[in-house]
Amino acid sequence: MVCCPGTPGSENKIADIIREEIGAFVDEISVDAMGNLIALKKGTGSTGDAGKAVNDNNVQNGNEPTKRKKIMLCAHMDEIGFMVTFIEDNGMLRLAPLGGINFVAAAFSEVVFENGVRGILVPESGTKPENLTADKFYVDIGASSAREAARKVSVGDRFALVRNTTRLGQNRVVGRPLDDRVGCAVLIDIAKKISGGCRDDVYFAFTVQEEVGCRGSKPAGFAVAPDVAIAFDVTGTGDTPGAKPMAVRLGDGAAIKVRDASVICDAGLVDRLHTIASNKKITHQTEVLVYGGTDTSSLQMSGAGCVAGAISIPSRYIHSGVEMIDLRDVKACAELGAAYILGE
Amino acid sequence: MMENVMNKENKLTGIELLKTLCLAFGPTGCEEEVADEICRQLEGTTDAEITRVRCGNVYAVLRGETKDGESPRRVMLSAHTDEVGFMINEIDSDGYLKFSCVGGIDPRVLCGRHVTFRGRDGDVPGVIASKAIHHQTAEERKTATKVNAMYVDIGAKNREDAEKYVAVGDYGTFDSDFVIFGEDGKYMKCKAIDDRLGCAVIIETLRRLKTEGKKLPFDLICAFTVREEIGRSGAQIAAQTFEPDYAIVLESTAIADLPDVPDNSRVSNVGGGGVISLVDRSTIYDKGLVDGTMKIAADKGLPAQIKRYVSGGNDAGHIHKAARGTKTLAVSAPTRYLHSASCVAAVEDFESIRELIYAVLNGYSF
Repeated sequence: MVCCPGTPGSENKIADIIREEIGAFVDEISVDAMGNLIALKKGTGSTGDAGKAVNDNNVQNGNEPTKRKKIMLCAHMDEIGFMVTFIEDNGMLRLAPLGGINFVAAAFSEVVFENGVRGILVPESGTKPENLTADKFYVDIGASSAREAARKVSVGDRFALVRNTTRLGQNRVVGRPLDDRVGCAVLIDIAKKISGGCRDDVYFAFTVQEEVGCRGSKPAGFAVAPDVAIAFDVTGTGDTPGAKPMAVRLGDGAAIKVRDASVICDAGLVDRLHTIASNKKITHQTEVLVYGGTDTSSLQMSGAGCVAGAISIPSRYIHSGVEMIDLRDVKACAELGAAYILGE
Repeated sequence: MMENVMNKENKLTGIELLKTLCLAFGPTGCEEEVADEICRQLEGTTDAEITRVRCGNVYAVLRGETKDGESPRRVMLSAHTDEVGFMINEIDSDGYLKFSCVGGIDPRVLCGRHVTFRGRDGDVPGVIASKAIHHQTAEERKTATKVNAMYVDIGAKNREDAEKYVAVGDYGTFDSDFVIFGEDGKYMKCKAIDDRLGCAVIIETLRRLKTEGKKLPFDLICAFTVREEIGRSGAQIAAQTFEPDYAIVLESTAIADLPDVPDNSRVSNVGGGGVISLVDRSTIYDKGLVDGTMKIAADKGLPAQIKRYVSGGNDAGHIHKAARGTKTLAVSAPTRYLHSASCVAAVEDFESIRELIYAVLNGYSF
């Protein structure tokens, strides 16, 4: 899944792969107008009355309500990237960012288009590091004229930093785009783990356009109108030189989100996830992120509101070409998600 | 040149219609006069069902032909009725009005402008003033005056006198004429071309569907939305109400075909036809609609251009992700000096956008 292109607004290829991978474990799959892929694993519990579990005090108390709920698990398919806005006479391409690009990290990187064309992302000569903004960059695809360039790419075409991953040490993987393909992989793993059946309806939502402002999760949340929603996305760590103070460390397990800049997670759900993780001896840690945002926020406010939280995969160097994760954390996130659904 | 016709029932077409809409008073939150005019122009000239709702939106819904009881698709055309303007914050003891901007206005375009405030008993003319150059310090001359250092002079003697005409909270707009200028009347200038041009295109599209007796295979929902310039709540309400499958947002876009702007930063060219956005700060547009529209334009020999630079946002930002999501396109009139007293647009762009929208409604496979 890491090798597949999927910049915001163009996630159909990655959706095809996910559909293939998750198909055997779910009952229904649909795609909406924006491109969100939503897979449903039907629960076996009784439907009970039509009221929402959010109104059920049992949820807050950590006890299981008796009726079947709608649980929505969410990971975004898109990765940060770029779009061609203009082709200059000399064959150089101008661009616009799709998502939060770190242009200092992206300078002089190799890029690849959806059709396979390669190029280099270069800042205008003499640009000072503090002035590295989108306007100052161009892509050199080796063309010597606009005409030659236009034979390979068009205005509106998308590209991204090259995709690849390397194993570092025993448990760590570095490369891109791990944000949030690793979350998508976790969702598929959960689907596999609960394929024997569960009481609640579980919606696996693979959303579009998260990187440009959590856009896809809004209609996805509207359509599902979940009782409980849990997003699976990467989060930063505080364990590197110069990092902002943060309790999350790479390799210390699934990060149970309390808040980020976009959301305050449901306290009852946070407690419940901690309890389950402790009982099942799943390595876990508490995440308090002072910046950033995830689909959790739009899911929380979907429909008449829902109980929302997130299980985050700790990642270093997010949005660079060398994002780093620890495979033990990934495993813990999938185990915790599955244990929550199975009510263990 | 477009025909300028006014018939017996005060139904206006072409440039006369656009002029009347541009001159209507409608800063964000105060769009009634624009909505009134739109309803007056639509009444009797379209088969669409016209409704006005609480928030101030006007909807014109034209039912499509359904096949075998199948629920028809819904296509929304939208344009916003509001314009940037001003609001009175405070009336000082000398009778000057302190004000804030409603919507994004560059303070540098304000000094010396004629403005009109809508008071309890009628419109009150005024002029935006600040300290005359004679009284400015050398330091003040070097910097742009901030809005909170400006005031509106309505010729009042003192606070008591001013309060006979206006009150804190009253709205104002630029006081501007609609002028056709340039060789062969190529350009027009006025306030509020953003987005009355879009409103005029929709009105004329609905009328043409009637005169040509066209039945569309989908429900056409025309939404004239309030409050685009602040918060875009009108568009959000419209999209949530109708949950359209597709939406075409008619807008004005700031362009920069100006001498000191390098080619790659020019958004588009005035006179180059409707501007189709790929991506802006609020929306990534539907690729199928973008490609389909460019193809229809090419097939029909209509000018259209791709927006070259990512800037701004519009009602599409809320429409495309409302409810279950909507495949969305934006077609904008390239406009110089957006959000000023004198927006400049090309008459031929108004004409070609009208043609393009009509062709897309009839030619795109929604």
